[in-house]
Amino acid sequence: MNQPVKPGFLPEEVYRAYLNALLAHDFQACRAHFLQWLEADAGLRWTYEDLVRRSLYEVGDLWERGRISVATEHLATAISESLLNLTYPRLFLRPRIGKSAVVTCVPNEYHQIGGKMVADVFELNGWRGYFLGANTPVGDVIKLIAEKRPEVVALSGATSFSLAKVISAAAEIREAFPEVAILVGGQVFRWGGKERVERLPGVRCLISLGELEAWIMEHGRDV
Amino acid sequence: MFDRPDIAKAMQTYVLETAPVMALLLDADDRVVDANDEARRVLRAEAVGRPLAEQIVDFNQTLDVPAIIRQGDTVHRLTLSTASGLPETFCFRFFPVSGGVLALACLDLKEQVELRNQVLELNRELNNLTRQLYQANAELHMLNQLKNQFLGMAAHDLRKPIGLIMTYGGFVLEEAGAQLSEEHREYLRTCLRAATGMKQLIDDFLDLAVMESGRMRLELAPATAREIIAGAEPMARLVAGKKGITLLVEPTDDVRRLQVDESKLQQVLLNLVGNAVEHSVSGQRIWLSSRWEGQNLVFSVRDEGPGIPPEDQSRLFTAFERTGLRKTAGERSTGLGLAIARLVVETHGGRIWVESRPGHGATFLFSLPTKEGE
Repeated sequence: MNQPVKPGFLPEEVYRAYLNALLAHDFQACRAHFLQWLEADAGLRWTYEDLVRRSLYEVGDLWERGRISVATEHLATAISESLLNLTYPRLFLRPRIGKSAVVTCVPNEYHQIGGKMVADVFELNGWRGYFLGANTPVGDVIKLIAEKRPEVVALSGATSFSLAKVISAAAEIREAFPEVAILVGGQVFRWGGKERVERLPGVRCLISLGELEAWIMEHGRDV
Repeated sequence: MFDRPDIAKAMQTYVLETAPVMALLLDADDRVVDANDEARRVLRAEAVGRPLAEQIVDFNQTLDVPAIIRQGDTVHRLTLSTASGLPETFCFRFFPVSGGVLALACLDLKEQVELRNQVLELNRELNNLTRQLYQANAELHMLNQLKNQFLGMAAHDLRKPIGLIMTYGGFVLEEAGAQLSEEHREYLRTCLRAATGMKQLIDDFLDLAVMESGRMRLELAPATAREIIAGAEPMARLVAGKKGITLLVEPTDDVRRLQVDESKLQQVLLNLVGNAVEHSVSGQRIWLSSRWEGQNLVFSVRDEGPGIPPEDQSRLFTAFERTGLRKTAGERSTGLGLAIARLVVETHGGRIWVESRPGHGATFLFSLPTKEGE
């Protein structure tokens, strides 16, 4: 990455080098790529989008096609998640705008990194992003919403079996809190389901972190 | 084709040499008499020649190992003490052979998968906790900034009326004191002493707020140890002399110069001497000295006071921490002097510490590093 990089246009060779390091479980090499990209003019959101999200989708595809073992897939996820920690010393010191979002994964969904990136993008834009983690019972989410009174609740699902759970969790939260904005997203919507979940009142499905950031820019100060 | 002896032999050699399968030949007394490379790698060196039962970790002391070895038709999960020092679980099958038993074993993959999942789960939790920790830390950072802002504002607003009380109180004492009774003059002096103490407290609060907020700016200029001490010495002598304490100054002759904020370091020395005076009694001595230790300039202030118990030493340099130490003349001070000294020294990239034993006085030291090019 000797040339200045333009956000959103990660050089293919950089991405491939990162992906190869990820598949080889080489944490230090991944860390170096991640920091280099983060500290260039890419910024956190593009690093998450172009490096972390893209590579994990590809790792998932490789696993589904039987090209890598489940252990490699798990380690790639663990490494990616540890890389997010590197952004935190600066991320949480950004000025706040007094709004908050509760972000969570639906029950039985153990792939939590997508949700965590969503919570971080809220932080990046001055919101407080409460992240509840993997496999969170809807009752617990509802309790936290009652306690924190966030402007937005974001639900994340990764695996295909989570789709029904995302929809039912959104419906349950909508019933308990008619006013709160609900966002849903994650890899689970790669194969469809957007129209179905958006039939619920006040529920938006956002496919990428870019869409999320655009939503925050557009509605962040009004909700 | 696989019946051919040469092929069977090649396969046997390959499996025994490369597969992660342990092969142990046991004699009639269940002693290990031979082992393949994998078994020798996994087990402790002394395993060969000893009974297999000695290698097995029997957590509940309920295993009947000889009986298990003779149950040749089932897989047994047995945990072995391995050369790595960690117990590991293996799936064993025992086959009767001429003169004894052949034991074949490989790692229990089910257990490995469970362990891996547990590690991944712990890693996930650790990452979530790390995120929460950074989030909480950022909130504390913001609260601390607010506190410093408040302290700064409050101290600034309090300083003005205290200044008025001291100035006009002083005027009254000077100009109209003769018309007052001694009792009333003493009342006035008490008020002025209290106001002076209050002003010191406010000044310390202001200093601390500025330093903790990271807004302290050092005015760096080259200075020698002698110059730094010389600037603090007259005031230090005055403070010590008031209580009948002798100040002995032992400056270094070294002419090396450091880039420092001379007046702030003199404030540190005065704070350390003031602290030593508060814990000394009339007739005792205080030594103020400096020396070079490699690339570090070290200042020290030593007293003959009661010393500091080890449990109090780590708290001395923290603002608003209370220790069990008593001042010898009941002096009233803000207790912030050492915290301020620490912040000044650390802003210079140095460190401050105390060496003391109860009953043997205390020595406060701080060192300043030489920066590149000095």
